[in-house]
Amino acid sequence: MAELTLDGVTKVFTEDDGNEIVAVDDVSVDIEDGEFLVLVGPSGCGKSTTLRMVAGLETVTDGEISLAGRRINESPPAERDIAMVFQSYALYPHMTVAQNMSFGLEESTELDDDEISELVDDTAAMMGIEELVDRKPADLSGGQQQRVALGRAIVRDPEAFLMDEPLSNLDAKLRATMRTELQRLQEDLGVTTIYVTHDQTEAMTMGDRIAILDDGVLQQVGTPLECYHTPNNRFVAGFIGDPSMNFFEMEVDGERLVSDRFTYPLTADQADAVGEARGVTLGIRPEDIGIDPDGNADSPHEFDMHVDVVEPRGDENTIHLTFEAGLDEPETFTATVSGLRQLQAGDSVVATFPPEAIHLFDADTEQALHNRSLDIPEATEQIV
Amino acid sequence: MSTETGRVGEWSLFGHSLRRVVLYSILVGMGVFYLIPIETGIMTSIINPASYTGSFPYLPPLEPLVPGTGTLSLEPWQGAIDGLGQGLVNSVILVVPATIFSGLLGSMAAFGLTTISWRGQIGIYILFVAGIFIPYQAVLVPLTQFWYNVVPLQAVFAPLATLPFVQEYHWKLVALIITHTAYGLPICTLLFRAHYKKLSDEMVEAAQLDGASVSTIYRRIILPLSIPMFAVVFIYQFTQIWNDLLFALTIVQFGDAAVVTQDLVGIGVSQSGTNFPLRMAAALLAALPTLLVYIFFGDKFAKGVAA
Repeated sequence: MAELTLDGVTKVFTEDDGNEIVAVDDVSVDIEDGEFLVLVGPSGCGKSTTLRMVAGLETVTDGEISLAGRRINESPPAERDIAMVFQSYALYPHMTVAQNMSFGLEESTELDDDEISELVDDTAAMMGIEELVDRKPADLSGGQQQRVALGRAIVRDPEAFLMDEPLSNLDAKLRATMRTELQRLQEDLGVTTIYVTHDQTEAMTMGDRIAILDDGVLQQVGTPLECYHTPNNRFVAGFIGDPSMNFFEMEVDGERLVSDRFTYPLTADQADAVGEARGVTLGIRPEDIGIDPDGNADSPHEFDMHVDVVEPRGDENTIHLTFEAGLDEPETFTATVSGLRQLQAGDSVVATFPPEAIHLFDADTEQALHNRSLDIPEATEQIV
Repeated sequence: MSTETGRVGEWSLFGHSLRRVVLYSILVGMGVFYLIPIETGIMTSIINPASYTGSFPYLPPLEPLVPGTGTLSLEPWQGAIDGLGQGLVNSVILVVPATIFSGLLGSMAAFGLTTISWRGQIGIYILFVAGIFIPYQAVLVPLTQFWYNVVPLQAVFAPLATLPFVQEYHWKLVALIITHTAYGLPICTLLFRAHYKKLSDEMVEAAQLDGASVSTIYRRIILPLSIPMFAVVFIYQFTQIWNDLLFALTIVQFGDAAVVTQDLVGIGVSQSGTNFPLRMAAALLAALPTLLVYIFFGDKFAKGVAA
């Protein structure tokens, strides 16, 4: 158990034709002892490469990785005392579950056979796979293989766990169960963990902190709620949250935002935050949009809308709204409302964009100029 | 016309559809066609050579009960065992180590060229592949020069001849073992490489993280997963080396170290004519080990080809 530090870590791949591709660009994160950090981003963003550099499976082009204060850039994987869980589980197919789990102990420790088999039995019991220890991986279900892979990592009691999309091969129900179980396990063991995923739900629900990566560049590191409510930039705002935040491209006109669809007045604070920027992106989360089927748009924050599509999810409805009815392929944005509310496609409604719930991003740099205020959560609830 | 067993409109014969009858007739006919030469060989090999002339070679030797079939005799087999005995022993001394070495080294080379990555491995791999395409004929003269004039193997080997079961002429078999191992290495490497490319990279990485060294990964992960491919390679190499005559003629040339294929060339041939029963018995005897290898390892072979 130890803290893991990435300082300016960079990975450049050189292709056969001499082209250089920057896969990871100057990533710096401090992961505290026992912390669960989720590295999240779209595919190809460099998150797996980052993890593989920590594991020692890829060389580090630039920067420093240190574990417990010790630089490990040049250490071979075997000497790093790190365990990794792979997406494919990577179990040894010719070995039984017990042999799979004891392999690492045999190779990397001086323990004798009795101590090893005791450790393996304990871990198998903890993972609920004690019945399976004599079976081969081919005779196990996906969920059981995944437990064995976890058990193989845990039994070694390493300084750090690395997990590369470990849940992505499971079905949705099992994934949800394993999500909780993994969190509990990590909390009990208190081992520093980096968990890579492309799934923002896993990132939000599992991480102590999440690090969002796009195109090799670290976008934001923070607690899940920080990233959700106060995103650094438009990418983070759009990536975290499902359904995604709605974005509207607007021109700044004094204390108002103008587009060819609608005009939105800014508060004094918001206008200050916008400052000299000419174009901004207005962002609002689907659940912050108030929907009133009977009202009139009398406030400047209220707009007449048409319901294009309703997607019922049971607990809530995702509603696709459009400014103009009757278009074949209208530009839509989404709002979520309670699943008990009856709305039909084609309905006319009034949508409210509460001023305290909006985010403003610079249209050029995509950096956040203003994030929603968090001190008055009651207000948003009343509107919904 | 139709019966209750056949489909409507189908001809039938004693309750079996005509289509089936024709099919089985053709299958049996083809089976007979393929087995006749072997059957003829076996029958010929148990005829007394004196009564062979004028008999029908495919009939069992039943004279004097049935005229024109020859007299039963195990004399040809006795002669074949006497004539080929030394050659069979030499062939076994050659084939077993050469097969094992070429398989093991091929597997190690493939592991080093596929699973482990290092700079320049593609160049080395291309050399291996090129080795497959070097024609035997092109290396015959250099091979003789190499073993007889360049490498003093005979002199180095001489002191070992004092050991039990080791004869002085065995040095030629050692030369042949090394030659066959080297010549079989490229194809073995290619076969193993195809197999290793299908193994999961993540599994090897997991072993690295588990603390295993390159040699441990080979010994504990890759080798156990190669067993089906070893069956393929061993059968292939065993047959190739057992049946080889060209390298044996080049390196052994003649004498006590002659292998079974060399002995087979001359057996049963003399100025007084060809002793066909003896030649047949010798041919069957020489083919027996490859046949046994196929019978015993055939199922593993099929598994390895499908793997």
